[in-house]
Amino acid sequence: MLTDTLTPSAVDEKRSTPVLQKILGGRGLGEFLMDQRAFVALLVLIVIFSFLSDAFLTPSNLVVMTKHVAYNAILALGMLLVIITGGIDLSVGSIVGLSGVVAGVLLQGWELSLFDATAYPAVWVVVVIALAVGGAVGALNGLLVTRFNVAPFIATLGTMYIARGAALLISDGSTFPRLEGEEELGNTGFSFLGLGAPLGIPTSIWVMVIGAFAVWLLISRTAFGRRLFATGGNERAAELSGVKVRTVKMKVYIASGLCAAMAGLIIASELTSAAPQTGETFELNAIAAVVIGGASLAGGRGSVRGTLIGAFVIGFLSDGLVLIGVSSFWQTVIKGVVIVIAVILDQSQARLKKRRAAAEAASSVAADAEGIAADARA
Amino acid sequence: MGHRIARRSLITAALAGTALTACTDGGEEELGGSGKVGGLISVITPSHSNIFYKTEAEAAVAEAQRLGYTAQADSHDDDANLQSSLFDTAISNGSAAIVCDNAGADVTIGAVQKAVDAGVPVFLIDREINERGIATSQIVANNSQGAGLVAESFVEAMGAEGPYAELMGREVDTNAAVRSNAFHAIIDLYEGLEMVAQETANWDQQEAFTKTQTLLQAHPDIRGIIAGNDTMALGAVAAVEAAGRGGDVVVAGFDGSPDAVAAISAGKMHATGIQQAVLIAEMAVQQADAFIRTGETGMPEKQSVDCILVDPSNAESYTLFAVE
Amino acid sequence: MSPTDLASSELAPADPATPLSFAVHGVTKAYGATHALRGVDFALEGGQVVALLGENGAGKSTLMKILAGVEQPTTGTITLNGEEVSFADPTEAASHGVAIIHQELNLCPNLSVVDNMFLNREQLRWGFVDDAAQRRSAVEFLERLQEPIDPDTLAGDLRLGQQQMVEIARALSEDAKVLIMDEPTSALSEAEAKVLFTVMRDLRSRGVAIVFISHHLEECLEIADRAVVLRDGLIVAREDMADVDMRWIVTTMVGREESELYAERQRVPGAPLLEARGLVVADPATTGRAAVRDVDLDVRENEVVGIFGLMGAGRTELLEALAGRNALESGTIRLEGKDLHGRSIAERIEAGLMLVPEDRQRDGLVQSLAVGANMVLGAVQRFARRGFLAASQERSAAAETGSRVRLKAAGPEAPIGSLSGGNQQKVVIGKALLTEPRVLLLDEPSRGIDVGAKADIFALLSSVVDEGRGVLFATSEVEEVLHACDRILVMARGELVAERDPRTTTREEIMALADGGTSDDGGDDAH
Repeated sequence: MLTDTLTPSAVDEKRSTPVLQKILGGRGLGEFLMDQRAFVALLVLIVIFSFLSDAFLTPSNLVVMTKHVAYNAILALGMLLVIITGGIDLSVGSIVGLSGVVAGVLLQGWELSLFDATAYPAVWVVVVIALAVGGAVGALNGLLVTRFNVAPFIATLGTMYIARGAALLISDGSTFPRLEGEEELGNTGFSFLGLGAPLGIPTSIWVMVIGAFAVWLLISRTAFGRRLFATGGNERAAELSGVKVRTVKMKVYIASGLCAAMAGLIIASELTSAAPQTGETFELNAIAAVVIGGASLAGGRGSVRGTLIGAFVIGFLSDGLVLIGVSSFWQTVIKGVVIVIAVILDQSQARLKKRRAAAEAASSVAADAEGIAADARA
Repeated sequence: MGHRIARRSLITAALAGTALTACTDGGEEELGGSGKVGGLISVITPSHSNIFYKTEAEAAVAEAQRLGYTAQADSHDDDANLQSSLFDTAISNGSAAIVCDNAGADVTIGAVQKAVDAGVPVFLIDREINERGIATSQIVANNSQGAGLVAESFVEAMGAEGPYAELMGREVDTNAAVRSNAFHAIIDLYEGLEMVAQETANWDQQEAFTKTQTLLQAHPDIRGIIAGNDTMALGAVAAVEAAGRGGDVVVAGFDGSPDAVAAISAGKMHATGIQQAVLIAEMAVQQADAFIRTGETGMPEKQSVDCILVDPSNAESYTLFAVE
Repeated sequence: MSPTDLASSELAPADPATPLSFAVHGVTKAYGATHALRGVDFALEGGQVVALLGENGAGKSTLMKILAGVEQPTTGTITLNGEEVSFADPTEAASHGVAIIHQELNLCPNLSVVDNMFLNREQLRWGFVDDAAQRRSAVEFLERLQEPIDPDTLAGDLRLGQQQMVEIARALSEDAKVLIMDEPTSALSEAEAKVLFTVMRDLRSRGVAIVFISHHLEECLEIADRAVVLRDGLIVAREDMADVDMRWIVTTMVGREESELYAERQRVPGAPLLEARGLVVADPATTGRAAVRDVDLDVRENEVVGIFGLMGAGRTELLEALAGRNALESGTIRLEGKDLHGRSIAERIEAGLMLVPEDRQRDGLVQSLAVGANMVLGAVQRFARRGFLAASQERSAAAETGSRVRLKAAGPEAPIGSLSGGNQQKVVIGKALLTEPRVLLLDEPSRGIDVGAKADIFALLSSVVDEGRGVLFATSEVEEVLHACDRILVMARGELVAERDPRTTTREEIMALADGGTSDDGGDDAH
């Protein structure tokens, strides 16, 4: 039986206390959970794993897990920027390996055949150069995407191989095992990145936190951030409004390259050894973190908070499965299932929102018609 | 370096190859026994990014040149298709022989048959194929025996009791299972030793690092870690050090890589096993040479070369995949 | 002058002695071989509203894009207050005080109303975006337009009409001296349009020069001071609006007399083809509401039936239900006696009932396919022999249909995007005709199409019906039902409230009937 009046949808009607109503922002509990689903998922994971393993919630394990999360989170921050523009960066894993190898070459002594000498640059110089290499690969990506109109997937797939190849060539296939440096050469201190712990918190976690804060500021508080989202939401409209879309895209690919190089340095520093193969498949974890955090691969949507939570979800999930001794085949399957579910939920939420908007639209259309009728009668 | 050799050899090989093909008539190809010394030996191995394969390839090339041949080294990156086309190239270059560390025990059979049919004898090193009678020699390191040596050393160092963890290689690689089984054949005999965790780290150092960190959290009482190869063992070593437990935990690997030996010398790692890559490669080239000259190698097709254990006692006398 | 400065400064009332002047001289614009503009001299003065009139493809949008810096002229100059200027991009034009409201809405759906309004002109405080100041400013402009939108709403969540108001608000906030409005009312309700005109008059009194482009010719008559008519890339007439009327406009635009536009016909309808009884359709967007309530209608052979109704009357839902896109809550539909209950869209097309949808871009055409491919899309299986498409048959069918509908296109291989709106609609109709329908349904067939093409479309429908078919179309333009159909049905709030003969009814009567039907309603208590 149909009625004429618009009844509020069932989702809205929830028997909840006024306080809860305020927290939920006037929406239903179901919708709230859906909105915060990544965070909910994280909580659920923590609860489940702490039941299944006594070691999960110990402080030392939490630190270890968070350090593992940090590598991915740093990558994911750069990836987030790229994904917001509607692009993607598959080359970050290779940049991780490349930057480590570059650092390795420089720390083990750079043979300058021209001057018949070996240079041992100071650690901070090494870091700057390695970051610059990452940025350069990012710039190459940006160039391919903006000047040559290559689809980001293809462009970064190509640079993924180029960067990996470069790493193998530079290292000639071998690893650089001893990166601690020597006093006389003035290049000690590299291990600080991976093994240092100012104020008791590991350096990599500091980098993650500071990086996250910086990126958050950038995308939510600056003009660049608005233009970034505009580029992803409707590139043509952004362009017509005068936004320099090409520059925006170039910047985000460079940023992604820098983040990847940073992650590569941290990893090499932790192992005090750099291997060219390091970082294979890291890009997938970064993308997964961003997607689980609620960003849309089509562009225009994403948040630092979501990305961090996504990185934690993946990280805790992976480590938790190892803790409880699940076979690694299952680990891969479970990770894949989580990502697929995240995307499905994302789509359902978008559809719910659309229906809600249509309902509101229909009701305001009706109100308009009322208005016209009232005008006519007047 | 292998690539530089390769490039120079390519030109020589191309010329030599043209010369050779010009000499041979279009009749049935005869395998070996031509009596001639000299010609091209093609060395086909997995990617040189792994120092093991790089070493064996370079050793083969060096030995070939020492014996008066030209040599060219290429990698098939564990891709059967690429391997097949490298075989094709070797054949059309007029190679006198192919020395190969192959990409798969079944998928390589066709390629070897192809070469043999074209008159190019094939000498396999490090990995076998699942067929006899086609390749002239199949020289492998006795992984089982080597792993067993490592396992015994491991047991000894652990005092035959305590909880330990195992890091396995990539599950699709037969070597991963071979080594793991060999480890367990020894370790499982000792009831005092308990395996509390078994994880795969895909032969990767970073993955071994993160997994070991987590395992140390899950089982803080672990006193030993045995890994399917040195790269993973080194990752485990780094994790142990990072947790401040260096010296507490016995770590063993396999492969005999220089980094691992250095770690053993430094007391961070306990043992590894060397597959005598250099020796095996040299043996293959020598047998190829004998076959080319005389039509025989004097050895059976399947040959197994023992591995050598490297532990703190002999780590000093080590060179690249060979002990003095 | 940066746009930000303009936005925050007071727009000083124009000095009547020296009003702003903005003009183009001898401008041509060529896209490859086609010339969109062929030597145009166009001048604007502050304090005037100029209506730029012309059919689709006459070059109006191109000319406006050149004025606003979106495109560059191939030849010709632009002068502002006597000085020659050139705009490399829209930002430069904006810095000279030229703002444009585009025909296609250019909002980023993922940004809020505020962010859209200040995109690329963000107000900063200590290097960060000053959200509070921007929001205050946005509210101010929205209030001026009497549009009570929450400025933090995402643009994508707004109705089309609200989106258009936001675009207008943005143009206003740029404090332009020259305002170009390309179809600003296409999605607005009557009430909103009235407000817009009030704002425009206000701007005019402050010395702003306004260019107004609209297909709704009555609006041009109402608001503009001058009329400039563009035809085939050239200006053919310039008059004061007070001196001309609708007939003049249409004739000048189209080059033909209006009376020639709609053919006279006397038709005798035949047997009923489509019979619908007791149709009830649920509103797909709102649970618990019916969009169509207890509708009975017939369409007979040789007959064009027109449904007139305002927005929200339920026309689209009715047509979509007939076509099989929406499910019926209750009621029956028979086509030539066969009950269509439960039949899919494809099955109904097969049976001879097909819909030409309202949003042809989204629902009627495949943008990546060429003209010919689009046309045969509905009837592909007829050209298939043992699973493969007979290309030559396809091509000849497309060519034949193309000439049938008097399609003006470069050829069947032309990309669909290169066609004007009217020609695109002809392709969609051609596609429908290829399926040999018994009854053809059309939802707003002339939306976004200029007067000349409109006449073509209705003439085409007339000829279709003369072949013994039936046509049912829905529209919100009274002129169409008065001139182009044999029988008028008036729909309001989901019900068919009246049936009229176009020869005996009047515009006012139809409009009044369309408003009616609200008396018994308890009114909406939704908000």
